[in-house]
Amino acid sequence: MLIRVSSFLVLISLVSSAWSDDRTVQPAVGLRENPPSVYALINARVVVPGGRELENTTVVIRDGLIHSVKPGGIAPADAKVIDLSGRTVYPGLIDAYSEASLPSDHLENTAGHWNSQVTPQLSAGTHVEPLDDRETLRKQGIVAVHRAPADGIIRGTTAVVSTGDGDAGRLVLADRVAQQLELTASQRSRTTYPGSPMGAVSLARQTMYDAQWYAQALQVAQTSRVPRPDINDALAALVPVVRGKQPILVETSDEQFALRADIFAREFGLRLILRGSGSEYRRINEVAATGRPVIVPLNFPDAPNVSTPEIAAGVTLESMMHWDLAPENPAKIHEAGITMALTTHGLSSKENFLKQVRKAVERGLPKEAALDAMTIVPAQLTGTSHLLGTIAPGRLASFFVTDGDLFEADTKIVETWVGGQRTEYDPAPVVRPEGIYELRMKGGRTTNRLFLNIKRDGSSVSAEVSKTLDALRSDSKDEEETKDVADEEQKADEKQSVDKFEIQDFAATGQFKEEEGRARFSLIFDPRPQPKQAAALGRIVWPDGAVSTATVTPVTLADSETDEPGEESEEDSETNASSFPVNYPLGAFGRSAAPEAASHTVFVNATIWTCGPQRVIRGGMLYVHNGKIVGVGKRLVIPDGAIVIDAKGMHITPGIIDCHSHMATDGGVNEGTQAITCEVRIGDFIDDDDITIYRQLAGGVTTSNILHGSANPIGGQNQVIKLRWGQTGEQMKYRKAPPGVKFALGENVKQSNWGDEYTTRYPQTRMGVEQLFRDAFTAAREYGSRRQAWQRTRRGLPVRRDLELDALLEMVEHKRWIHCHSYRQDEILGLIRVLDEQGIRIGTFQHILEGYKVADEMAKHGAMASAFADWWAYKFEVYDAIPYGGALMHHQGLVVSFNSDDRELGTRLNQEAAKAVRYGGVSPEEALKFVTLNPARQLRIDRHTGSLDRGKDADIVVWNGPPLSAFSRVEQTWIDGRRWFSRDEDQAARKQIAEMRNTLVQKILTSGEKMKKVGEKDADPSAQWARYDEFCRASGHSHSRQQIK
Amino acid sequence: MKYLQLLLPAACLISGLNASATDEIPGPRQTKPIALVNAIIHPVTQPVVEGTLLFRDGRIVAIGKKVRMPEGTLVIDLHGRHVYPGMVEAHSQLGLTEISAVRATKDYRETGSLNPNVQANVAVNPDSEAIPVTRANGVLTSLSAPSGGRISGFASVMNLDGWTFEDMTVRPRAALIVNWPSPPSSGESPGLKILRRVFNEARTYRKARNAPNSAQRHDIRYEAMFDVLDRKVPVMALAHDAREIQAAVSFAIEQQVRLIIFGGHDAESCASLLKQHDIPVVIDSVHRPPRRRHEAYDSAYTLPNRLHKAGIQYCISGSETNSTWNARNLPFHAAMAVAHGLPMDEALRAVTIGPAEILGVADRVGSLEVGKDATLIVTDGNPLEITSHVRRAWIGGRAVQLTSRHTRLYDKYRQKYRQQAAEQEAAEE
Repeated sequence: MLIRVSSFLVLISLVSSAWSDDRTVQPAVGLRENPPSVYALINARVVVPGGRELENTTVVIRDGLIHSVKPGGIAPADAKVIDLSGRTVYPGLIDAYSEASLPSDHLENTAGHWNSQVTPQLSAGTHVEPLDDRETLRKQGIVAVHRAPADGIIRGTTAVVSTGDGDAGRLVLADRVAQQLELTASQRSRTTYPGSPMGAVSLARQTMYDAQWYAQALQVAQTSRVPRPDINDALAALVPVVRGKQPILVETSDEQFALRADIFAREFGLRLILRGSGSEYRRINEVAATGRPVIVPLNFPDAPNVSTPEIAAGVTLESMMHWDLAPENPAKIHEAGITMALTTHGLSSKENFLKQVRKAVERGLPKEAALDAMTIVPAQLTGTSHLLGTIAPGRLASFFVTDGDLFEADTKIVETWVGGQRTEYDPAPVVRPEGIYELRMKGGRTTNRLFLNIKRDGSSVSAEVSKTLDALRSDSKDEEETKDVADEEQKADEKQSVDKFEIQDFAATGQFKEEEGRARFSLIFDPRPQPKQAAALGRIVWPDGAVSTATVTPVTLADSETDEPGEESEEDSETNASSFPVNYPLGAFGRSAAPEAASHTVFVNATIWTCGPQRVIRGGMLYVHNGKIVGVGKRLVIPDGAIVIDAKGMHITPGIIDCHSHMATDGGVNEGTQAITCEVRIGDFIDDDDITIYRQLAGGVTTSNILHGSANPIGGQNQVIKLRWGQTGEQMKYRKAPPGVKFALGENVKQSNWGDEYTTRYPQTRMGVEQLFRDAFTAAREYGSRRQAWQRTRRGLPVRRDLELDALLEMVEHKRWIHCHSYRQDEILGLIRVLDEQGIRIGTFQHILEGYKVADEMAKHGAMASAFADWWAYKFEVYDAIPYGGALMHHQGLVVSFNSDDRELGTRLNQEAAKAVRYGGVSPEEALKFVTLNPARQLRIDRHTGSLDRGKDADIVVWNGPPLSAFSRVEQTWIDGRRWFSRDEDQAARKQIAEMRNTLVQKILTSGEKMKKVGEKDADPSAQWARYDEFCRASGHSHSRQQIK
Repeated sequence: MKYLQLLLPAACLISGLNASATDEIPGPRQTKPIALVNAIIHPVTQPVVEGTLLFRDGRIVAIGKKVRMPEGTLVIDLHGRHVYPGMVEAHSQLGLTEISAVRATKDYRETGSLNPNVQANVAVNPDSEAIPVTRANGVLTSLSAPSGGRISGFASVMNLDGWTFEDMTVRPRAALIVNWPSPPSSGESPGLKILRRVFNEARTYRKARNAPNSAQRHDIRYEAMFDVLDRKVPVMALAHDAREIQAAVSFAIEQQVRLIIFGGHDAESCASLLKQHDIPVVIDSVHRPPRRRHEAYDSAYTLPNRLHKAGIQYCISGSETNSTWNARNLPFHAAMAVAHGLPMDEALRAVTIGPAEILGVADRVGSLEVGKDATLIVTDGNPLEITSHVRRAWIGGRAVQLTSRHTRLYDKYRQKYRQQAAEQEAAEE
């Protein structure tokens, strides 16, 4: 019979009020309470920085602070003495990051920021109530929490808050520690700026520039007679940040965001603390190179569901590897020399914090580093080292006591102190009577001996009685497999369980069955038992009312067995290391390293489509060295020792250039919430993890123009990349490409197909679109003049830097090329006229499906055309699109390219080029230029790439047949003289992926770990952002699956 | 007069000067035998023949090195050009929609989730501009299919020429389109439960309706399903994932109905099941990205070859990416499969006789055989190759025009630049 132990599980002693008088203005109510507040913890093992432990130490606490820490020290006379023999005292842990939603209603009608996502004036330190989860946290040894505002982009300042009980004023240990940012949008929006990650970064950048300006303008206004800038609480709150006095704390949702946050901080010279994501290991060197401290979550994922082959087929290698590698993230961060603090953030339950820390230690994180990451490091990061992090005189009495090494699985925290407030867990019961006892009885019965076995299972206790010791003893051996069943049954007969058995403080009480009825007993245990004396005295009342007194003594079993823990966990740790090293990007087809640069390498016997003056060379040679083409021709002089590649039967072309793509970005593609958003930059969000990069590389694409979408007339800035799969987004950027920007015309920008509710944003007609351009360009010119004038005269307030007008000004000043989505001839001509007036030459017209109707006017303007080969009829404005358009424009002398605007089409652009042959009779040689030299000219990179000419980048594709044949396939793709793709390596990778998957599936199945639900995926911040222009494509595939309720 | 009209399409395409100012005019009924001589004839189901193909009254009557020609035969010398059967697109929305962004032009999706009673051909617009555009690339027959909901309705096989939808219809009820429900993460599939209920009730309904003195009142949905229950018309289930395919096959066995898998991305892993029960797969698209991140970059491109090697009956459709406006790209889907391993002959079959057999129209189209419709094309090269051209086409012996909205606009604007050049020339003189 089991019953709950009725003793307290948690004891809290409120001791802090003694020193409250000096720190509060609050008058005493009723009688003054002044409990003693001096403690001496004696005989303790105290953990101090550097992994050292002070043995047999006395810690004296006065008024909530640590007064002294002395090995062998003597307890002061006024102290309450607590003996911690066998216990270890650790400095209290700091949860380095915890989010809290702050109320912002009170900001209404104050001088704040125009955008509701910018609330730097909020402070986590002014909205403090005792933390809801403080008891859970304390039980994990956490004495303080670094709280950060949870909502918005520039969110407000963080604060360090104690996990103690009491008033807000006391719990806040440090205020305005850091300014908290998230450099992405929480959800996509078509109406509220920012509606994309790109927009969020732009807003944050603009706001930092505004804060710089605000500080400067206030100064100017103080010293000269000009009207002061409008008061702005938000910008004022950011002045310490832009002056480098207050760090920013940026929440990151994957390793790429960490690198992006660093770029952001560098632009403004800000101090930066990263709130990590748990995936830092994927770019550990790059994260380390930022030199920024990282607050690391312990959000190790559940195993992917691989329960059936069909279900497992849907699980990516990436998620299996993440499951395998994520617990090593803290260890890898430590090894990389990154300053690291740990956080409970991201855990499904904070109760698992220590469990996850122990897992991280088991997977390679040194114990000292783990402890530092929870104590001195977060104390330093939050400027609270004088209060927290170590057990030293003057610090808060915030620490916890364990019964062993914190990082061992079965170690328990027995008490946690927060600012002198003590919480005890599972305090040792006054008596712990487990064991077998002999009861010697007097009176009442002829029997004079009885045996009692008291057992505990967790918090439940039970007992058995027997007249013989043997019966109980066999049981105490945990009922080993019985050799003699009959014998065992006989013994069982002799013992019986005790009903209503209960231990309350000192007393153990219960009933057992006798022939005539029930006997009751109560035993009073001695809380200070002495050897060889009775453990308890008691009495037994028999069914007939007779009473026996009993003297209770423990029976010592010679062969008593105790559990031997530890064996299992040792076994585990051997098999626990991750199975495969990190590859880039993580998962299928990731690379272990960049390919080597070819040195003196010559292709011979190839058909070389140079797309340059040498036209097509049959049986030609192509000489590559050091990233460049050093020779191409029928016969070349090559040095001895050159590597010769026989390309007999192969065709070699320049790398394919896609002039219109939306892959490789997780920035949202469209910031379509406003008509003009040229401040946003695709380049802020190049996503190196997009598998489409690899697939297009396999289709011969070497360079791609990643464009903003077509949601608005003046969209964001584009980014040209080279498809160096495996490198970071920053490394993929093609720096030689001049800057550009996306424009758009027609149905998309006037919201024709957005839905019936979108009818008010200006413009709604092609007339309005045209006016918007005029307005914007004129504003930019005026802005440029005002800035120049202020630079010259320094009169009046400084002119605020405006990122949107900056970009427009660059267009006006011929520093930024316009790439304009366009369909109908009237809008094309209309834009040409506006640009002619402004003296701006357009970079390209994109799509340009009616360009064939005004090719003459485009030619006069100097426009180039980047079109679809054969798209039409997916919306009304493309009903007149014809596949002959490319040929017609080409024959009118325009530089024409065919682009993909599509992740799949981008893998076979050579076949799109072939359509210029089919429809309109362009020669194959010229048609190939539609996807090589011509897009290079359109992106103004043709001096560097686009044709196989001496001195250009060695961007080349090797085909197994004529490049315009639909039956041909890419064998190799080279970028800058490195072979980034080859069929052979790809085939080998497939085999390897299959093996890796199999290994990890088996590992998951044998681990016995809990698996995710079917279809449940790891959180992927990029997944919510489109990698296509949602406004551009046909409105959904006709037979796409629809949700059926 | 007739003779002139037959020559007109080719003339248009080549010169462009005599552009017809009107839409394409459906071909007239064949009135005299036509012999294509000096032709390289690719029957698809038989070896290539260099010689003559003779058709009469809309049917092929002879193929051979030497063919005896009846009196009055119109002889067309192809000078070594190729003759192929017209290609068959096994899934499209041709005629059911014109511009997908314009709601008024969409007729493929009836409201509600159970629409076994609707039938596509009655809503096919013979004047859709997409039809001549598709035809011009050699796709002469297509399945026009409704979509959406759980049971979308009956798809119809249509010839891509005719004055009315009735002229065009080859097989009004070629398949009942069902969107196969995705399996839930655990437990019974609610979608499957609904399908089972509908099929069982349709059976019960028929029994009740046929009972003597039946009081069962009519239900147009169940009435429509009799042909499916009788195995006269197959279910075409949109299913990609292995579990969906497995479920669809099991359901077909349980319900004793015929099944076509449409989509079939994971079909290779279900090969034994599909072969065991003779269930064909319509690959919805070769030009599509891999289904999963960790799949090979060419997994869609190699799917036809993988199904071919596994011995599964299949055909290629270009539907997933280009269901209407670029159904013309069907041959290039097959070409992509060739680039990635599918033998050329197989690729050709996969867009001709393959779909014809799966759609139940192989007695009329899909190959060049005596007795079949004279639905064929003349090309200057491999019809799957992008740089080849279709030069002539006949559907059931009717010569069809290969012009389209696209060639008309092409000719119009070539005219603009010719005028300009002429004006400039005049000015210079």
